[in-house]
Amino acid sequence: MIRLENVNRTYVRHGQTVTALQCPELRIEAGEYVAVVGPSGSGKTTLLSLLGGMLSPTSGRIWLDDTSIYEQSVTARSAIRRERMGFVFQTFNLIPYLTALQNVQVPLGLNGVTPDMQVERATAMLSRFGLSDRLNHKPSELSVGQQQRVALARTLVNDPQIILADEPTGNLDPASREVVLNAFDACHIEGRTIVMVTHDLAAATRADRRLTLQDGKITEANQKTAAA
Amino acid sequence: MNLRSLVWNELRERPWSVVSSSIAILLGVAALVAIRHVTVHSEQEVSRQLTSLGANILILPRDASLQNYYAADRNGLTLPEEHVFEVLMAGLPGVEKVTPKLSMPANLGGLDVTLTGILPQSEFTAQAAWQTAAMFTPKKHEGCKKASHVSSGADNTPESLNTSRSIDNLEKDQVILGADVADRSAFSTGDTVDILGGKFTVLGTLSRTGTVDDSRVFAHLHTVQELAKTGEVVSAIEVIGCCEDAAGDLVPELSKLLPHAKVVTVSQVVQTQVGVNRLMSGTSWFVLGILVVVGGASLASAIAANVRERRREIGTLMAIGATPGFVRRLFLMKALILGLVAGTVGCLIGVLTAVLVGPQWAGVAVTPMPGLALLAVGAATLVAVIAAYWPAWKASKLDPCLCFQEV
Repeated sequence: MIRLENVNRTYVRHGQTVTALQCPELRIEAGEYVAVVGPSGSGKTTLLSLLGGMLSPTSGRIWLDDTSIYEQSVTARSAIRRERMGFVFQTFNLIPYLTALQNVQVPLGLNGVTPDMQVERATAMLSRFGLSDRLNHKPSELSVGQQQRVALARTLVNDPQIILADEPTGNLDPASREVVLNAFDACHIEGRTIVMVTHDLAAATRADRRLTLQDGKITEANQKTAAA
Repeated sequence: MNLRSLVWNELRERPWSVVSSSIAILLGVAALVAIRHVTVHSEQEVSRQLTSLGANILILPRDASLQNYYAADRNGLTLPEEHVFEVLMAGLPGVEKVTPKLSMPANLGGLDVTLTGILPQSEFTAQAAWQTAAMFTPKKHEGCKKASHVSSGADNTPESLNTSRSIDNLEKDQVILGADVADRSAFSTGDTVDILGGKFTVLGTLSRTGTVDDSRVFAHLHTVQELAKTGEVVSAIEVIGCCEDAAGDLVPELSKLLPHAKVVTVSQVVQTQVGVNRLMSGTSWFVLGILVVVGGASLASAIAANVRERRREIGTLMAIGATPGFVRRLFLMKALILGLVAGTVGCLIGVLTAVLVGPQWAGVAVTPMPGLALLAVGAATLVAVIAAYWPAWKASKLDPCLCFQEV
């Protein structure tokens, strides 16, 4: 379970304080699939960064189960991300000089998995996404859809409990978009928590709950069931 | 996939970037290694040659230079020949041999040579017959245990000029050719040669010493004085002591005896020469130190640029769990590999250059010095790692949220 408690995040720009996010209370239950929507600059990515332990709140606390994330050291927060979280990015963020297989091996290597086991697990994960014939291709040799599938494989290879996705379908064609959303559905069924920032309202409808952000404030929290 | 394979894959992806970022270190190390190899071997060769002269003392005109023992008599300055006999007559303890020299430029069959007049030891014996016998009975220096080197007939070959700096017998119409002169003039033992208007028979040729003696032609001192019309003068007097201690003790005695001459031991000449070498060596270290600093700065700049262009990648690595320490090590290991490779390649180039051109540069054979090579590689690696530390530290402090941004 993730819980935000009186969280504020402000920036100082040109001498003026700008509130990027203001959230008195937010709970995301374990296994919940949450879509975050809102216009550009509304604070969606700030929320994702805060949840990922990468951006300290100006005030307030963020809890991951019983752990207050920002009371941990930087190294401990890295360990939390490594062991419990997976990230999906709009621009995939694959490492350009590594092959698809090596890209998926990176999180395993960071977690201290042996090289043989890395290859075995990364190969299996890429095969799950239909990329067994693209293992030794570099990102520049893959289509956009294939790159996002490699990125998904990298996210899931460490079996994370929480998936944080930033516009995962933003750059994709309809077929690739469907592959990604289906993968999220499968993760949801497996019991993982998913927080997906998106502009794609149709994609957002596949989530359990939709949070709408406006000027840094969560103005809406629709339950899928309620909307239905 | 681990730290090492990440670094290795990144380096393989951009080989030209690797070359350009480490070229300054590579060239600095190559120059350092080449110059140090030649300098050290040159120093060793000088020391070896001069030490082989043993307990020698040089008596020179007061204004003579001490830069090169072998060439100390080729400065155009002279001393009265009577100093030779003053030394002998003084009967100083520890003196084993006295060998005067008079050197001047001459031409041998179109070849420029140094004609050096020497006085064979038999001349002293002959003069002793009508002067005093006492001087030819060398007095042992107190505490000297070495057997006397006084002529026993074994020095009656031209080669003794190389081994004991003297010869027992040399007729007034005979010459001995240094190795270079013999090679270049094509004269050999028994040939008749014409020098300074005099005709001489070649008594023999000397083996190569690697010194200016190789370009000398040795003749009788009095013949050279007559042909050059110099009168009874010499350019230098070598006094061979029975041991190092004797040589040291003789210097003040000889200085007192010959107040208008400069009296120095071989070790003093060695020290002067080694001092000059050290100065050159120190200067080369300083100049090459600057090169290494430039190399370090160049590498630091390359790593900083690498950090800037990989900000998204660094953010992504942090997002998927890389610690700041991991990111720091990523760049430090890259610098370490670059330093190690540049240092090793630079070292190989430097050693090869020294071995190939050392004989032409300094006239010495150069052999690889593993200790110096290891030191150079270690220094290059250390410089690279130190240079990369700041950009690596900055990389580890980057905001992981960069993974979400267009950079």
